[in-house]
Amino acid sequence: MYLKSTVAAVLAAAAWAMPASAQDNTLKIPGVLELSGAGAISGTNFRDGIVMAIEDINAAGGVLGKKLVFETVDTASDPGKARAAIQRALDDKPTVIFGPVFSGSVNATLPMTNEAQIPQIIGGEAANITSQGSKYIFRTSFGQNVSMPKIANYLRDGVKAKSLAIVYVNNDFGKGGRNAIMKELESRGIKVAADLSIEAGQADFAADVVKVKAASADAVFVYLNEEESARFLIEAKKQGLDKPLIGETTLLGQKVIDLAKEAANGVKGHVGLTIDAPSPLVAEFAKKFEAKFKYKPDHNGMKGYLGAYMFKTAAEKAGKLDPVAIAAAMHGLTVTPDKVPGILIEATWDDTGEIDRISYLAEVKDGKQVITQTLPKLK
Amino acid sequence: MSRTLKIALGVLLIAIFIVGPADLTGFGIPWTGLKRYGTYILTLWLVTAVAAMGVNLIVGYAGQETLAQAAFLGIGAFTTTLLQKAGLPFGLCFIASGLVCFLVGIILGFPALRVQKHYLAFVTLAFSVFVWLVIRNEEWLTGGVNGIQGIKRPVLFGISLRPALYYYWLVLTLTAVLTGMMWWLLRSPWGRAFTALRENSVRAESLGIDVRGYTLMAFAIGSGYGGFAGAMYAPLVEFIDPSPFALGASLQYLLMVVAGGAGSFVGPFVGAAVSVLLPEWLRFAEGFYLIIFALLVMLLMAFCPTGIVGLFERLTTKARRPHADDKGPTLGTGTGSTTVAGSKS
Repeated sequence: MYLKSTVAAVLAAAAWAMPASAQDNTLKIPGVLELSGAGAISGTNFRDGIVMAIEDINAAGGVLGKKLVFETVDTASDPGKARAAIQRALDDKPTVIFGPVFSGSVNATLPMTNEAQIPQIIGGEAANITSQGSKYIFRTSFGQNVSMPKIANYLRDGVKAKSLAIVYVNNDFGKGGRNAIMKELESRGIKVAADLSIEAGQADFAADVVKVKAASADAVFVYLNEEESARFLIEAKKQGLDKPLIGETTLLGQKVIDLAKEAANGVKGHVGLTIDAPSPLVAEFAKKFEAKFKYKPDHNGMKGYLGAYMFKTAAEKAGKLDPVAIAAAMHGLTVTPDKVPGILIEATWDDTGEIDRISYLAEVKDGKQVITQTLPKLK
Repeated sequence: MSRTLKIALGVLLIAIFIVGPADLTGFGIPWTGLKRYGTYILTLWLVTAVAAMGVNLIVGYAGQETLAQAAFLGIGAFTTTLLQKAGLPFGLCFIASGLVCFLVGIILGFPALRVQKHYLAFVTLAFSVFVWLVIRNEEWLTGGVNGIQGIKRPVLFGISLRPALYYYWLVLTLTAVLTGMMWWLLRSPWGRAFTALRENSVRAESLGIDVRGYTLMAFAIGSGYGGFAGAMYAPLVEFIDPSPFALGASLQYLLMVVAGGAGSFVGPFVGAAVSVLLPEWLRFAEGFYLIIFALLVMLLMAFCPTGIVGLFERLTTKARRPHADDKGPTLGTGTGSTTVAGSKS
């Protein structure tokens, strides 16, 4: 009896493990993304951005004559599963890997792509990703090491805050951001009046908002994932929290505005990437994306889209579909929208895979993100 | 099934497990083996099955409930990782992980002397959350949400087990040893006592079985298996962070055992296969795979609460019955009863 069921299990496992045959004129592009779990919103946006870019790229003839075929694997927002998925992707000797978006999963997988010498285009923003010496990791948005100094400057010069309450989500993203801004605040003479961690997936923020109010800081820095951001804003409005709520990209993102509705009004902060950027290319992208997927993209949708174009540009610069050559071509690469419209906004990648690009200060007014100032590229 | 056929099948199965993932083209056999990922999944299945075996002892044999197996897996994984970083060889780390979980199991299971079943489940649930919070917040020890990177795979007799296949063989060997131990345990008077507890604890007590003592032992040994699984998990993934040790994962271990067939010896292996391999097979369904998975489990529970092994048994006995009737076995003749025994052993 046991034998029978075990035999069945083994046969089934063997059937599943049979290698798939490769086709000639296509290039498989694996995407290892957060399609379920805490990162589902970010991962789905990132995926849809890539899907749209690849359709456009294929319609225009593909990359070096090859049509791209995008295949996603769900990490369930779990770094262990992300590792397994990256291993699976690496077994097929890909030219490039997209994802993951969550920094924890990126940190867990970047030694693998570095060892295998396959470029990995990611959505992660944790500061330490680009400081580990991998020559094959490439960001599509600012790391916290870039965005937090900008936020701190804004708090000092724009908000003129002398004290700050920090609310961060207790995961790698939130903790990384909190540590990065703490470092910046000190040198700018801004005191931390409250330092609150909240749980990923937390639903009730009543007690946290009470604590923030009690701290009576000049401003509140809210650094949470999308759903938690929205819940926090709703509770803050309910309790009449009247201090400026400052955020970084996510807090002013479309998804948060959709979820929090009028509670998002008045939120200010720094945005690395936004569909409300004053650029006709971005506006066109947003319109097309919404028509195709029936929802408004957030910055992760843009990251996936421009990431695919970054790969295309680098592959064409390298002149061959060789992962090592493509990675080398990405270092020091500057892509401008007049040559590659898909890049949306001019971007430069340095030797560590860090991205440099203009960014914005923005505010949410009447359920819409409004850009108030454009900040120049760092270099 | 005749005895020789059974032995032959068993040997064949063991052979498949040993050489299955290996590349045999060098021996003139046209089988390229599994790729690294296939081997990884197979190894993960064995590790998961060891943890599920522990749950099966607690749930299927001793009739208790546990929602802390993932927490024990975590304790085992971090024990091995931290000891390994301190320079201890894998063998010692492995034994220490099992032992630590066994001891924690005794301490935690102590309330089992007072509470049983659902109440024990609550105790383990609280413990599970507690362990997860410790793993996540004690950054100096566990690396917090960033986890610990660069866990080394062991070196045996000077050979590094870094290649997926070598590590698979190590895990296969350890799993075989642990399975053998469990087999022996369940056939020892202890195992009989566990089953007696599950079937009717009052009667078991009236027969002189120390209900409390045996319950505690079952829980501690089952938890120890979680620790062993954790010790194998950390070098397999080469990275650990809090998420695989959260409450949801504990629920999944319970689900595996129930779906596989609680109280059946191969149940945990089947359940683990479902949990590890089904997401792979359902990959075509993309975002819907969780829904399909959940529906399958619900259907299984509604129509066959004895799990997949029970379903298999039901199907095979039904198919065989006419055959057995033809033979017309009579009680006491000794020969005709093999079919029944074969389907239940």
